[in-house]
Amino acid sequence: MTTATLERSTLSDTAVEQFLYLEARLQDEHRYDEWEALWASEDTLYWVPRRQDADPAREVSYIYDNRARLASRIRQLNTGVRHSQAPKSSLRRLISNIEISRNGDDVEVQSNFILIESRRANLTTWAGRTTHMLAPAENGFRIKRKTVVLVNCAEAIDNLAFLV
Amino acid sequence: MATAPQIQSVIDYRHLVQDGRLHGSLYTSPQIFADEMEQIFHRGWSFVAHDSEIPNTGDFVVRRVGTQSLIAVRSKDGEVHVFYNRCPHRGATLCQTSSGHRSRIACPYHAWTFALDGRLIGLPDEAAYPADFSKADAGLTPVARMDSYGGFIFVNLIPNELTLREHLGHATELIDALLGLSPTGRIQLSAGWMKHKMRSNWKMIVENQVDGYHAPMVHGSLIAANRTFATVRDRKPTSPTRVRDFGMGHSDIDHASDYRAAGDRLFRWTGGIDPERLPGYVKAMNDAYGPEDARRRLIEGPPHSMLFPNLSLAEMNIMVIEPVSPQHSIQYTIPVFLEGADDLNARTLRRCEGAMGPAGMLIADDAEIGELTQMGVANLEPEWIILSRGMGKEEVLANGVKLAGLMDETSQRGFWTHYREVMAASQEVSQ
Repeated sequence: MTTATLERSTLSDTAVEQFLYLEARLQDEHRYDEWEALWASEDTLYWVPRRQDADPAREVSYIYDNRARLASRIRQLNTGVRHSQAPKSSLRRLISNIEISRNGDDVEVQSNFILIESRRANLTTWAGRTTHMLAPAENGFRIKRKTVVLVNCAEAIDNLAFLV
Repeated sequence: MATAPQIQSVIDYRHLVQDGRLHGSLYTSPQIFADEMEQIFHRGWSFVAHDSEIPNTGDFVVRRVGTQSLIAVRSKDGEVHVFYNRCPHRGATLCQTSSGHRSRIACPYHAWTFALDGRLIGLPDEAAYPADFSKADAGLTPVARMDSYGGFIFVNLIPNELTLREHLGHATELIDALLGLSPTGRIQLSAGWMKHKMRSNWKMIVENQVDGYHAPMVHGSLIAANRTFATVRDRKPTSPTRVRDFGMGHSDIDHASDYRAAGDRLFRWTGGIDPERLPGYVKAMNDAYGPEDARRRLIEGPPHSMLFPNLSLAEMNIMVIEPVSPQHSIQYTIPVFLEGADDLNARTLRRCEGAMGPAGMLIADDAEIGELTQMGVANLEPEWIILSRGMGKEEVLANGVKLAGLMDETSQRGFWTHYREVMAASQEVSQ
C-alpha cells in the first residue's frame, strides 16, 4: 500500500466516523429534518428487528420503514404533539467499536452504541449494534440502509418513539 | 381527604366500582392488584396462546397468566398441554425462553426429563428414591382447565363454575368475525410478538382498547402525518360506529357499522387497499363464501374488541395484556395472518409495524397517555374517575348486548360491571 492510498483510506474512515457522530448528535438533539436529510432520497430501509437474524418478510419488526414511512414518522414527530415525544426525551449516545468495510463506492459500517434516555424520573439505558450502508454523496454520505439490533430486542422494551 | 385503602382490610368492590364512576385506588392499590390476580386471572378464564403458535410436535411457548408462568406445548399426539413452568422435583424453572422447540423437557437443575405430555420419563439415579416413589406421580402439573375456541386457547387455573363458552358468551361472534376473513377460517400467529413495557395498570390498557373517545386527541399527530390508518379517521361524534357491551366484560368498537354506512367499498379496514391489488385473496374469499357473503365480510372487516380479561382482537392485530404490578404491564402485539391470504398478509405485517408496538405511530402515544394517567391517579384527590359518558342512552338488544355511540363509555362500563361482579362475588363467598 502506498502512502497516498493509506492516507486516503485513513481520511475516509475518519469521514465515516464523523458522519456517524453527526447522525448521533442530530438524533440526540431531535433535529428531525436534518436527520432525515442524511438519508438517500429513495430505496432506503430503516430497520429495528425484534430479534437477531429475523426474517422481516415473515416476522414483525419494531421499525421497518421504507422512505415514505420514514418521512411519515418524521412528519408525526414534527407536529409537536406526538405525545410519546412531547416532551422530548433527553438523549445522549456513545458510538464505538466502529468497523468499516467497502464494496465499490458503498461503505458498510458496523458500530456499537450505548444510549441514555432521561424521561421524567426514569433513566433508561439502550444499547445495540448498528449497521449502516452508506453511499458517497456531495459533502459526505447518504444513508441507504440502517439496521439497529437492540441487545434486549427480544424482551419487552419501553416506548421507542425517539430516533434510534 | 381521601385515604388509600388499608392493607388487609376487606375491600368493598361494590363501593369502589359504581355505575358511571370508579375509585382511583382501583389502579394503584397493591392489595387490589393481588386480589385481581387471584379472582380474575386465576379463578377465571384467561387467554394463554393460539393454536397456530405451536403448530408442530415439540413447539412450546411460555406465558404468564396472573402471577403464574405456564408452558403451552404440543405433544406427539398433536394435543396441546399447558403445564406450570416448574420442575416437580425441586421447583426450578423448566423453560427459560419465551418460545422454542424441544423433543422433551429437561430440567436444568438435576436433569429430570419429561415427555411432551408431561410424563416423567427419566431422572438420574432413580434407584436412590424410597420404594414408594413413583414416576407416575411426579410428572409436570397441568393447569386445572384448558379449552379453546377458534384456536384461541384459554386456561382456568382455579376451577370456576363457567365453561369457556359461557365465559365467552356473545364474544364468540367477534372471534368468528376475525376467522371469517380467512377463506379457510383459520389465522396464523406466526410473526412473533412485540413486547411493550407499559407504565400503567393493566385495566387502563383494557379500557383504552375499546375507547372511541380519545383518538382525535391522542392520535392527532398521526392523523396529521399519515391518513391511511382507517380507524383513526373514524373519529367524529356523529360516526355510525357503535361501541358495544357484550356482557361478561367483553366489548368492542364496531367499525363495521361505519364501513357499511359508507357504501359497498371493500377493504376500508386495511386503510383502503384497492381490491384489484389483492386478486388472490378476493378470489379465495369468493370461492369460500360465495360472492355476496364474501363481499359483506370484506366490507365489514375485523373486530376491534376486548375480551375479558386479557385478549384484544385489535383489527388485524392480536394484543394481549400482561399485568406486572399495579403500575406496570406488558402489552403483547402480533399481526394476524389469514390463512389463504398471502397478498394481504404482507401488507398486514407492514401496517402492524407502522401503528403498533413501542415504536408504532399509534400505540407509543397510548402508552404515554397511560403513563400520565397512572401518575395522575396516584393523587388521592379527586377520589373518583368519571365514566358516565353516554350512560342511560344505550340501546339494549334482545340478547342483552348494549349499543352506544362511538365516543360513549359503554364499552368500559361493560368491563367494569363484570369486574365488580367477579371481584365482589368471590369475596362474598370467602367471607
